[in-house]
Amino acid sequence: MPLISVVLGRLSQAFLLLIAMSLIGFIGVHSVGNPVFNVVNIETATPEDIHAATIALGLDQPIWRQYLAFIGNVVSGNFGTSYIYHLPAFELVMSKLPATLELASIAMLIAAPLGTGLGLLAGRRSGTLFDRTMVKASVSALSIPSFWLAMMLILVGAILTGWFPSGGRGLTASFLGQEWSFLTGNGLWHMVLPALALAIPNIALIARLSRSGTIEVENLDFTRFCRAKGLSSRRILLRHTLPNISVPIVTIIGLQFGGMLAFAVVVETIFSWPGVGKLLIDSIQLLDRPVVMATLTFIAVAFVALNALVDLFYAVLDPRVRLSS
Amino acid sequence: MKAQIVSALKRRRHGPVLTASKLLLASYILVAIAAPLIAPQNPYDPLQIYGWEASSPPGTRGSGGYLYLLGTDGLGRDIVSTILYGLRISLVVSIVSSALAALIGLTAGVSAAYFGKWVDIAIMRLVDLQLSLPTILIALIAIVTLGPGIDRIILALIIAQWATYARIARGVALSEANKPYMDAARLMRLPTSRIIFRHLLPNSIAPAVTLIPIEVGHAVALEATLSFLGLGVPIDKPSLGSAVANGFQYLLTGQYWISLFPGLALFGLIASINLVGEDVRRSLDPRNHSL
Repeated sequence: MPLISVVLGRLSQAFLLLIAMSLIGFIGVHSVGNPVFNVVNIETATPEDIHAATIALGLDQPIWRQYLAFIGNVVSGNFGTSYIYHLPAFELVMSKLPATLELASIAMLIAAPLGTGLGLLAGRRSGTLFDRTMVKASVSALSIPSFWLAMMLILVGAILTGWFPSGGRGLTASFLGQEWSFLTGNGLWHMVLPALALAIPNIALIARLSRSGTIEVENLDFTRFCRAKGLSSRRILLRHTLPNISVPIVTIIGLQFGGMLAFAVVVETIFSWPGVGKLLIDSIQLLDRPVVMATLTFIAVAFVALNALVDLFYAVLDPRVRLSS
Repeated sequence: MKAQIVSALKRRRHGPVLTASKLLLASYILVAIAAPLIAPQNPYDPLQIYGWEASSPPGTRGSGGYLYLLGTDGLGRDIVSTILYGLRISLVVSIVSSALAALIGLTAGVSAAYFGKWVDIAIMRLVDLQLSLPTILIALIAIVTLGPGIDRIILALIIAQWATYARIARGVALSEANKPYMDAARLMRLPTSRIIFRHLLPNSIAPAVTLIPIEVGHAVALEATLSFLGLGVPIDKPSLGSAVANGFQYLLTGQYWISLFPGLALFGLIASINLVGEDVRRSLDPRNHSL
């Protein structure tokens, strides 16, 4: 199957997924409460008020028309105005995005090389003390609930030692019209703990994956041949083993980056990092429905898009994917 | 052949970590059941709580005459008792939701395999949709739509978890559906519900059931996370997750014990469930019995 049809197939799949999600979201939103009572006061409203509000909200239209209007709003990024901030909800989400993106990127920049490296080393010396310690450490790192890990990082890194700040974003510098923390020393200092909280479970996950890949590849004929040829074990590991295990690792990095957008909810709340996740939790607690909808939609769409991208990347990297389907 | 048997037996032998986690899990379940008998205080009873002893450090002797072994929280509740009662809520919520999710997921997966055509397509599309999103996101969306409360959080956990079971059960049921006993059942004109629930389901259940212990571990973590975010169980009846959350604001002022100890209890619970669950799955997996 040529690459182009794989691309088209995957994109239409992602598109269908989004349509299904929007349908479920639409039904979900419309099955809880009558939105008219968000607009008019339930105790003092006359039947005329309610009728006027129903027309104003478009609730007198047939259901499929309401759905089309909903889709139109979602596509144009119109989720209504925040009840709290009095700003368009989607703009609010976008204004918080740089903070989340830079945190997730830094976390992934820590997790990807560290996890791959640890996995390579452990896999090459499988069965040794280092390997067994690594496996046990990764199991427990994946068992720790992320919020508790974040709190322990604050306890050790901020309260007991006083090395790092316990929360906030620190100083930011302007770049491309947005404020970024990673451009200032103080901002980077603020990022250390939250980035570690996001990175540690991913280090464990990537290390497990690259360890099992390494063990598999190290037993294949070509590595034995390399060894017989007298190549140094470092060269075998970096030039021959690493490229052969890279495809699943790249996949998991892409998927986990999407997962980080979802897990940022927890880490951002704990470190009071003003990103999309903290906005979501704050808005849920303040009953700011437009912002909640906009944030959840954004995270879900971003995740589906990332998934599709990773799959496409897979097809480009690995000819077997193209040929088998 | 002999070497293979020996290695298979060796694989079955428990390491000290597994034995320890089995013991730990058993004691967790025991103290959760016996909580009202062994807890020094009933943290839900305001008459037993002394508000002026709030945030006492571990080892303080309280005016009730007994020892606050792990200190008290910001409302004056004994941490040991909060952990014991919170453990009950965490365990009940996650076991009930995992069991119901397994039941619903199995039924959905088996029905998809049995009916095929559009039923299959509809159910499996929904399953694909759910499995392509992170569980925490599904649970968040569900709890935002449903609102707070223990029954709602159980529902949200079911919504977040049923899809895994459905996918596995469908795969098994597809291969079972063409076996002779299914033809026999159909030829006898048994009612469809009887064929599904009495013939197909019991024969497709095994691989999905081995997942339940691991999923209970996930459910504990998920419930704790939702409660920590203030979206889970109500604050006056804390689960382990909300007990940790209650202590978070005190952590910043150095009163570490309020969230440290419930957190340790939670970590131990999740780790032991994961290790035991992984062992259950491995020893029930038929591929590991082949010699």
